[in-house]
Formats: sequence, C-alpha cells, structure tokens
Amino acid sequence: MFFEQLLNGLVVGSMYALIALGFSLVFGVLNKLNFAHPELFMLSGFLTIAMVALGIPLAIAAVLVCVVIGVAGLAVELVSFRKFAGKDGHITAALSSLAVGLVLIDGAQKYWGTEPISMPGASTLRIASVSAWGISISWLKIGTLIFTLVLMVVLHHMITRTRFGRNIRATADSPDAARLLGIDVKRVNQYTFLMASVLAAIAGIMLLLRTGYATTDVGFSLGLKALAILAIGGMGELRGAVLGGLLVGVLESMAFHFGLGRLSDVVVWILMIGVLLIRPAGLFGGGGIHKETRA
Amino acid sequence: MTSDHIIFTGLNILLAWSAYVILMSGSLSFANGAFMALGAYGSGVLTVKFGLHLLVALPIAAVGTAVFAALVALPALRTRGVYLILVTIGIASCLRAVLESTPYIGGVRGMSGLMGTQIWHIAVLVVLVGGMLWWISRSPLQRILDAVREDESVARSMGIHTVYVKTIMFSAGAAIAAMAGGLYAHHMVFVRPENFDILVSIYIVLYIILGGTNNMWGPVLGAVTMTLLPEVLRGASEWRGTLFGAMVVLMLLIRPDGLLAFRIQSISARVMPPNREPQS
Repeated sequence: MFFEQLLNGLVVGSMYALIALGFSLVFGVLNKLNFAHPELFMLSGFLTIAMVALGIPLAIAAVLVCVVIGVAGLAVELVSFRKFAGKDGHITAALSSLAVGLVLIDGAQKYWGTEPISMPGASTLRIASVSAWGISISWLKIGTLIFTLVLMVVLHHMITRTRFGRNIRATADSPDAARLLGIDVKRVNQYTFLMASVLAAIAGIMLLLRTGYATTDVGFSLGLKALAILAIGGMGELRGAVLGGLLVGVLESMAFHFGLGRLSDVVVWILMIGVLLIRPAGLFGGGGIHKETRA
Repeated sequence: MTSDHIIFTGLNILLAWSAYVILMSGSLSFANGAFMALGAYGSGVLTVKFGLHLLVALPIAAVGTAVFAALVALPALRTRGVYLILVTIGIASCLRAVLESTPYIGGVRGMSGLMGTQIWHIAVLVVLVGGMLWWISRSPLQRILDAVREDESVARSMGIHTVYVKTIMFSAGAAIAAMAGGLYAHHMVFVRPENFDILVSIYIVLYIILGGTNNMWGPVLGAVTMTLLPEVLRGASEWRGTLFGAMVVLMLLIRPDGLLAFRIQSISARVMPPNREPQS
C-alpha cells in the first residue's frame, strides 16, 4: 500500500513537474508569470476528449492537441506578453494573461459545462497492469513515468547542448545583450511559449488518461500548485521545477496516505512558505537557465 | 435599481478598494477573496455562536484578519514582488481547503443564520474607506507610497522602511476585504466556502485594472461597471467571465493604465519630477 502510494506520488509529481517546467521556462526567459498556462493545461484534456469523440485515434489526437495548444500558447504570447516589456511589464503581463485565462475557463465552462465529462474508452487503459513484489502497477503509470523521464532528458539536452538552447539561455540572462549578439529575441520568446504550452498539453493529456475525465477546475486546483513548486524549486530553475514537482507529488500522496484527506492540498503551500522563510532562492537552486553550464 | 444592486455595488467598490490599498504600495494580492472569507466566517461565528451584534463582530473580525494577513505575508513582503503573488494565491487555495474541512463552521455545507446587514452599514463603510483614501491621496503618505511602489531601493535609501509600509498597507487592505466579507455574509444569510473561490480574488484585482490603478476612482469605476453592466445588458450576465476577461485584455493593450488613468493632483502632491513616466 505504502509503495503504491509512493508510486502514485511520483506519477502525480511528474505531471506537476511538467506544468511547473512550463511556468519555469517562461519565467526564466521573460521573467514573467504566465497565468494562462494552467488554463491551457485544463483545455488540453477537453480537446483530447473532443477529438477522440470524433473518432480520431488517441495517439494522433494527442499530437494534434499538442499542436493546437502550442499555437494557443503563441497566441497568448502575442496578446499578453509581446507589448509589455517595460519596468512594470511583469505585473501587466501577469494580469493580461490572467484575463486570457479567465476567458479560456469561462469559454470551456460555456461549451463543455461545469460538470466533469468522461473520456470514452479510458477505463480499458487503466485496467491493464503488471504485478511485481506484491504491488500492482498499471502500464499507464509506468508509461507516464518513462515518458516524463525521456522528455526531461531531451529538454535538458536541448537547453544545455544545442545552439537553440544557448540562445534561450542567453536571452534568459539578458535580453538586451542577447539582442546585441544577433539573437532574435522575439523568436526565442515564441519558441519558449511553444515549448511551455506543449508541456502543459502533455501534462493535461496525462491527467486525462489517469483520471479518465476532464473538468474545468483543474486549472485552478492543480495548475496553480505548479506556481508553488516554482517557488519551492527556485524561480526559473528547470532542475528545481522537476525535483520540486516530484517532491510535492510524493509529499501530497504521503499526506493523503496518513489521513490528512482534503487538507493534503495545503501541504504544498505550507512547504512554499517554509522555503521562502528559510531559503528564499529555492531548494534546488543552481541548475537553471541562468546558470552557465557546459556547451 | 433594487436594494440588492446597491448592496452588491457597494460591496464590490469596497473589495476593489481593498485590493487598491494593497496595490498602492506596489503589491498585487490574489488573497482578497480569502480575506473576505475570513471576515465572513469570523464575524459569522461571533454573531451566530456568541450572539454578538454585527457592528461589534465586524471590527473584531477585521482586526483578526489584518493580523493574520501581516503574519502570513511578512516572509514574502521581505523578498521580491513575485513571491507575494504566489503567497496570496497560496492563502486563497489553502483557506478553502481548511474551511471545507472544519465541521465547526459547517464544512462544505456552509454556515447559515447570518443576517443583519443594512444598506446604511455599507454606505457608511464606503464613505469611511473612501474618505480615508481621499485623505491619503492628499497627505505626505501618498508620496511615501509612490516612492515604495515606483522604486523600492530608492525609497529605502531615503529612509523609508519599505517592509513596514508594505505590511501596513497589506493588512489594511485585508481588513477592508474582511469587513466587506462580513457584510456580504450577513446579507446572504448563508455562506459556503465556494463563495470565496480564488476566482473572486481574481475578479477583485481585475476590477481595478479595468478602472485604473493610479487613483482611487479607477477601482470604483471598474467595480460599478462590472456589477451593473450584466444587469443592464441582456446576455452579458451569462458571458460575464468572457466579457470581463476580453475587456481587460483589450484595455491593457490599448490603455495600459486603465480607463481613469490620471492622478488627482493636490497642492502637496504636486512636488513631483516634471517628466514622470506614467506607470503601466
């Protein structure tokens, strides 16, 4: 039972990590919070259900959803971030993206309703499982964990080892200096939003496959936790977002295991306030976009 | 216009001001819905379980909320602005979970039996808070707040205790939100934790953004518009969120300072740098 909970925590944590990575990428490069991000995460679940309901196979639907959400992310960048570069830009951009998020959540509630809608054929995915050492693990969870791991490795390689990643790190360090060196900062910002949104879409599809339904309130209930994870791991730190996400996922499932019930949602925020008090730079500082590593 | 409209308009003006007071010192709060809940439940417990009069219970709840706000926000107020946003979102998310799992105040089912709000209570509170804000805008305090908002390190170098100023303003905003919450609860008779969702806090902040952030009339305009527009326009109440969000996005693109973007200059506040950039 305990190990199952631990594994559940890791699976949930990897989903948190993906959302937090999206927040962290945008915050690292633009120094701004993207409040439309949790709603893109929320939307991807509904879009997947809509596409599967149209008869599109799940794998193709997932790719299509990533494309659609990625384009939506580019639209958010255009509407809420491109214009606000000044001194107060970070607050204006946060508010503007918040308003975009409000439109998205209201639109989703009008179109799909406030009740959860379930995914056709999701139950068969969850039942298939493997048993070892007395614990049964569904293939879905194993797949989720492996997929997340691969995604992280690819992302890390992209950021630290490629020319594109170097452009991103340079822009994160100083947009002005990057521009002087001939980097197309606008393009870098767009790619950052594209990557962040695709990560949100993947997280949304993972949540949908695991729970089997989509609701409009996951943006607020799960997406906003990623913000706390951002502070726990260190703002703009990619490694911090991943480790913080896993840590919070495990802690939450432990809290639930030991009978905190509904209050296990509070754990992440208390942890955040504690981290702010003791180590304001975050628990896992030192491996982020800003830091010059190899390459 | 029925009395309901008047009450909700007044409450929304108070809530918009509560966020504006916090914004005056440069912080953005997404916890005002939670402070409203603290005021509502705090005063509700005092009136229902202890039989106190509403007008006695309200100030007690407000002071309690202010102290709570100061204690929770202090670690964040000492660091960069973005952390305060995170902490306030945290307060908003936590409080609902805590309220829902506390059987003493009804848990998920909510608390009932709250009554006694009169229109004049709200009117008096609006006049009081408005008068206070007007007085601040003409006093040297306004310049201190401007300095803290525009550039904290400069303000600190001029001998202003910025953490102190920000904490006081944050607590004051929390207290105003708590009183509005108490009056709201005692008008509705029945409150549930989901009445104080984080969406409420977001609406409160966006009221100010719509109306204008740099003088006390902007929040009033935003609150009144967004309370009464859905009543006037047929269909607008159904699409309230989309309409409101789209208005704010457009507003920020076209007129980043809000509809009412000017400062009512007083004689004492006129001593400002000649080419002061409008903040956005």
